[in-house]
Amino acid sequence: MNFGKDQLQQDMMELYVGYLENNIPHLEHSRSSTSSFATSRRMGIYEPNHQIGMWEDSFKADSSQITCASTIVETDMKLDYMAELEDIPRKGLGQPKKYDQETSHSSDKVLRRLAQNREAARKSRLRKKAYVQQLESSRLKLAQLEQELEQARQQAVYIGGHLRETNLGLSGSVNSGIAAFEMEYGHWVEEQNRQTSDLRTALQAHASDVELHMLVENGIRHYDNLFRIKAITAKSDVFYLISGMWRTPTERFFLWIGGFRPSELLKVVSSQLDTLTEQQKSAVSGLRQSSQQAEDALSQGLERLQETLSETLTCDPSGTPGVTNYMEQMANAMGKLEALVSFVTQDGCLIASMVMNMHLPHKADLLRQQALRQMYSILTTHQAARGLLALGDYFQRLRALSSLWAARPHEPT
Amino acid sequence: MQDAIPYGSARPWFAPPPSSSSSSSSSWGGEGGGMRRMVAENPVVVMGRRGCCMCHVARRLLLGLGVNPTVCEFGDEAAGEAVALVEEVAVVEAGGGDVRRLAMLPVVFVGGRLLGGLDRLVAVHITGELVPILKEAGALWL
Repeated sequence: MNFGKDQLQQDMMELYVGYLENNIPHLEHSRSSTSSFATSRRMGIYEPNHQIGMWEDSFKADSSQITCASTIVETDMKLDYMAELEDIPRKGLGQPKKYDQETSHSSDKVLRRLAQNREAARKSRLRKKAYVQQLESSRLKLAQLEQELEQARQQAVYIGGHLRETNLGLSGSVNSGIAAFEMEYGHWVEEQNRQTSDLRTALQAHASDVELHMLVENGIRHYDNLFRIKAITAKSDVFYLISGMWRTPTERFFLWIGGFRPSELLKVVSSQLDTLTEQQKSAVSGLRQSSQQAEDALSQGLERLQETLSETLTCDPSGTPGVTNYMEQMANAMGKLEALVSFVTQDGCLIASMVMNMHLPHKADLLRQQALRQMYSILTTHQAARGLLALGDYFQRLRALSSLWAARPHEPT
Repeated sequence: MQDAIPYGSARPWFAPPPSSSSSSSSSWGGEGGGMRRMVAENPVVVMGRRGCCMCHVARRLLLGLGVNPTVCEFGDEAAGEAVALVEEVAVVEAGGGDVRRLAMLPVVFVGGRLLGGLDRLVAVHITGELVPILKEAGALWL
């Protein structure tokens, strides 16, 4: 195509201005560019050859304002350029001579101007239509997203509501096993409180041994339930159990391998018993001693586990031979932690160590259970009822202390 | 600590050092029937996998009672033999493969007879039955 660069520039400028003229009133963004353009336009129509430079300058000066126009418009403007480039040769070729003629200069220019304006207007109407269609589809999508969000929110409220029923604050992640356990534990506590007050009422009313026996049986079975649900949860969340986060802070203060010390439990049970025979006294004393010994053994087992796990994680060449890199080390440590079903590696200590790690809290619970059972076997029904009451009372008071402590007035740090 | 084993066959060198993370991987099963002999010759034997902390618990409990148990710790190589031995001595209804049987470990033998796993050991201790059993086997005397 054989047209001058100047002419091309000039044509493009005029077309561009015409386009802007048609569209600027509809756009909020590029208000500021209107006036300067209008001025340039007026100047440009009548003296295009001389004003090109000026136009270019003003164009560049206002380019920052142009860029604040919407993206859609900008893109369309670019398309406009492309479209107009194809049109230009025809127009340019069609009327190259008219520029040189002074007489027909104005009218031809005006005619051409009008044609171009119509063209620009048509194009802008098309663009507007496209823009509106885009807006429509975006609106639909937005409605969809809002609906999805609402559904998700409702689900979160449902789950969150359940969590809030329990008395602890899980920080965010909803582990279904833990959530289920907390719910069950919450129910367990409620039931324990009910049983404790039933025991108190029965004892105060001097109920018969038969009635007391039933209450004692229920009480023992209730503790068995706790150990059972703990055992289930330990399979997947042993560290959570050991952390005691599911208990109140004051209970946690006494934490030993995921619960109370058996010796502590026995002490509370026997605290209210003043009617023991000599035989009973010696049996209870023997039981407390055995329980303490087993407790110590378990504690030392726990320490040993901590030691071996720690050794696995430190780069100790004399410790575990053959562990030469980080991945191996991690694998070994993981092996100590997880309940593996299959044999792993040449390091023979892996499997048993970690199967046992999972079992340690279970062993501790077993000890608690066995100690309590043995205690009740030593006691009469009446004594056992009083012992259970003492235990239930103790926990209630401990939990109440937690609430009091949490609610105490204290200065913010 | 008193030497609580009357049969006189508690050779210190026969048992690996209890506080071991022993780097030697020599196993007791390597000597054919070594485990069997150990159980027969020692009044109290705790048998478990090397580095198993439950083994440690069993041992500490017995030590606390004044018993010095012989500890047999083995590695992978001897695992099969250990399980076989235990199954022989006890009526075991374990169904599945090696792992389930291994989960029985550690086990405690008293007087050449299988007492049971750690759970059983603690249970009989709590009920007060353990000390008489130990005395009967000659592992304890007052």
